[in-house]
Amino acid sequence: MSKVGVIGTGNFGLALANLLAINKKQVLIFARREEIAEKLNKTREHKGQIINERVTASNDLEFIAKECKLLFPIVPSNNFESLLNQLSPFLTPEHILIHGTKGLHITADINEVKHLDKSQVLTMSELILKNTCVERVGCIAGPNLAKELAAEEIAGTVIASRYNDVIKEGKKALNSPVFNVYGSNEIKGVEIASILKNYIAIASGMLEGMGYGDNSKALLITRGMAEMVFFGKAFGASEKAFMGLAGIGDLMATCNSKLSRNFRVGYNLAKGIKVDETLNEIKEVAEGIKTIKVVKLLKSYGFNSPLADALYKIVYEDWDITKGLEYLMSLPVSDDIDFIK
Amino acid sequence: MPLRKNIKKPLPHVIENMEDWPIYRSYNNNEEFLEKVKDKVLQHLSWLNLGEENTFRKELKNIVYQEKIRLSKTPWKSDDPKEKIFWNEIKRQFKSVKDIDNKGDAEEFDLEILNKILDFYGKEMVANFKPSTFRFAQKALPYIYSRLINSFPQALYKIFSSTDMLYDRMKISGDLDHLRKLENMGTLIVVPTHYSNLDSPTIGLSLNNIGLSGFTYGAGINLFTIKSLSNFMHNIGAYKVDRRRKHKLYLETLKSYSTVALTEGVNSLFYPGGSRSQSGMLEEKLKLGLLGTALDAQRINLQDGNKKKIFIIPVTLNYHYVLEAKKLIENHLKNEGKEDYLEDENATPFGLIKRTYKVITSNPGMTVSFAPALDVFGNKVDEEGESISKIGNKVDIADYFKLNGSIIRDVQRDQQYTQILGERILKEFKENTVVLSSNLVAYVAFQIIRKRFNQFTVFETLSLPKDETIVSGIEFKIVLDRIRDRLKVLEEDKKIILSSDLDLPTEELMNVGIKKVGSSHPTYVLRKNKNGVISTRSMKLLYYYHNKLSSYGLDEYI
Repeated sequence: MSKVGVIGTGNFGLALANLLAINKKQVLIFARREEIAEKLNKTREHKGQIINERVTASNDLEFIAKECKLLFPIVPSNNFESLLNQLSPFLTPEHILIHGTKGLHITADINEVKHLDKSQVLTMSELILKNTCVERVGCIAGPNLAKELAAEEIAGTVIASRYNDVIKEGKKALNSPVFNVYGSNEIKGVEIASILKNYIAIASGMLEGMGYGDNSKALLITRGMAEMVFFGKAFGASEKAFMGLAGIGDLMATCNSKLSRNFRVGYNLAKGIKVDETLNEIKEVAEGIKTIKVVKLLKSYGFNSPLADALYKIVYEDWDITKGLEYLMSLPVSDDIDFIK
Repeated sequence: MPLRKNIKKPLPHVIENMEDWPIYRSYNNNEEFLEKVKDKVLQHLSWLNLGEENTFRKELKNIVYQEKIRLSKTPWKSDDPKEKIFWNEIKRQFKSVKDIDNKGDAEEFDLEILNKILDFYGKEMVANFKPSTFRFAQKALPYIYSRLINSFPQALYKIFSSTDMLYDRMKISGDLDHLRKLENMGTLIVVPTHYSNLDSPTIGLSLNNIGLSGFTYGAGINLFTIKSLSNFMHNIGAYKVDRRRKHKLYLETLKSYSTVALTEGVNSLFYPGGSRSQSGMLEEKLKLGLLGTALDAQRINLQDGNKKKIFIIPVTLNYHYVLEAKKLIENHLKNEGKEDYLEDENATPFGLIKRTYKVITSNPGMTVSFAPALDVFGNKVDEEGESISKIGNKVDIADYFKLNGSIIRDVQRDQQYTQILGERILKEFKENTVVLSSNLVAYVAFQIIRKRFNQFTVFETLSLPKDETIVSGIEFKIVLDRIRDRLKVLEEDKKIILSSDLDLPTEELMNVGIKKVGSSHPTYVLRKNKNGVISTRSMKLLYYYHNKLSSYGLDEYI
């Protein structure tokens, strides 16, 4: 039986490798550094997670690509392109890639440009299509907090792809008594939902940090979803995906969980701790910080995103959070359901 | 890329002996061919979407009902009188079915009916290929032209009596040597843009001039109405397509026909845009039904161990003058978008030849531009026919069809691949469009007027009074240069091809373009008076010819 590959030893990558392994799959996990691979194989432990015995770590991409036709690349968006460039020579059109990266690839320097063109913003599946010969691409998204997955708590996810065989293979590999895998052909919507929810989680953390209760959070989550739909529609996604696990599902999880990195960034900001300090502390990327800026640079496309605007002012223009909140609450309100027909 | 332009005489056929051509070998044994088509339809009946509510029987009855409705509501001259009898007979058999069902032979009965229907469609559809007819066709056009020309002034006779006439007017560009090489390596599918009823003779002549073996293609059944034309078309490889029939069984039979032709190695021609472009714009969306058969055939070849690869050759046809432009643009503006068949006046061999003749001789030139060949996934192929992926590495196309190491039939996957192929074909259409001087001047004139009234809709612009549609020569030349500069940048980026006219000095380019644009319409499209003022008699035609360049983002350079 063909092995399954996971690329990346972050929390989610490790959790996913374990989920595959408990499903009786032989898993190869790629660690960029040889010593990490060695340590992982030897100690069967990494980043606080116990590694299933069916998981073998390797730092040889060629070997992994040769052994595994089904690959799950789970690396931060900033490293995704360089990973693809290394991996690409070993890929064939037989490979299926299902990524789990909740970020965007920007072909311009977002610290330099004043605005972005749509063509400069790629989801990870688009980047895979651009940089490899692989056509069968999918993404995995949903309320999948790595630590809960690692604890084998009951959870669900969605695998989205325009190809049903990608969904089928992903399901076959991952579906288990503790992990339900749903399918969707709305890959663009699923990717956008899973990317945008990151900054909504930052806002949710802020509210929590400021001591606000459930009413406030519910307002945030509902209007946050509306904002996701507005953005998604402007970028060619259908509203359908936002109603599923990758949309409302993931929002519920990340906006309510202190386990979420993005949530923690927002929470700490409310407590006066700068973004950089939090990122140094958690030693992982909070994709939401970059997403806030990207959304701002795409504003010329005319979508409605008051939350991202306020967060931009807070994160990038040093606005006080209270001022940001006042700004948000002072905006005119529209119909309740203004984001779907 | 080695380009060969202006073929002065037809190149020798790559496969010299016509009896060795796949089209001859396949159609010479029609019965075997049709059995394969039928087997293919019967192999996968899932397309019937049979559910509990929708039984196979019900579907068959529905087909018979639709066929009878077609014959009574939209009868055509081309309808075979025996057809009515056939459907009545099928209907009669349904009436006696209760007894059969009681005997438990229902399934057998349904399949027998299905077989009869498939046999009927197959016999109606199937093409033939007679080398003698093909040779006649190769020689007939120049001969008929010279007969026609006798009624023309002597000067014209001298100009056109030579067989060189065709080749002077028809410029063929592209890597033709590579195309000829690919003929030996696989099966070719030519997919041209579609502007005019003359596209088929134009492309047919071009393919013959390049020396490729015969192509099969689906032609509207109404073209077979006139017996002499019917025999002619039938015997040069055209199969009959009845576009009134929209039901799944017929469409599936058509697709199976095309797939079998391809797996048999018969070169094929599809118009992926479907009907002619009514607006004069480049195709923006393709009909993927027949294109999907390329994927299917390629998979079958690989599964059967047949190494023949299927190559897709996008072709753009570029005319200074489209005879039916007025009718097309008016249809487009009315937003009718109806399928528009060849008009009665042309439904005779003489009418068609007259029309071909008129366009070729009155056309200041046409360019047939062959884009680089693609595989069925839209990858370019190298000299040896190997697929090169978009990132530049060689790929084994079998891998696209594999799951867990085996080649698998997966309709949904292949639909997605077909969509990708469609997108790549559209890209090739765009990048291999040849900008003629006529397109350029039409674009410039229309856009200057449009910009002047930018608050107006296109429809309002088209109804402007004549004196508002006049453009000064000075303004025209300034904009012309600007757009030409932009086009040169696009050409450098391989986003478009410029014809040699575009190297002319501005004044000359303007004059040549104005002279050539829609040159034989009763009303002129553009004219320049002695004071250098440019005017039009038909904003609609100007719009039509302008549209060819409307998808290149040139408007911001006006």
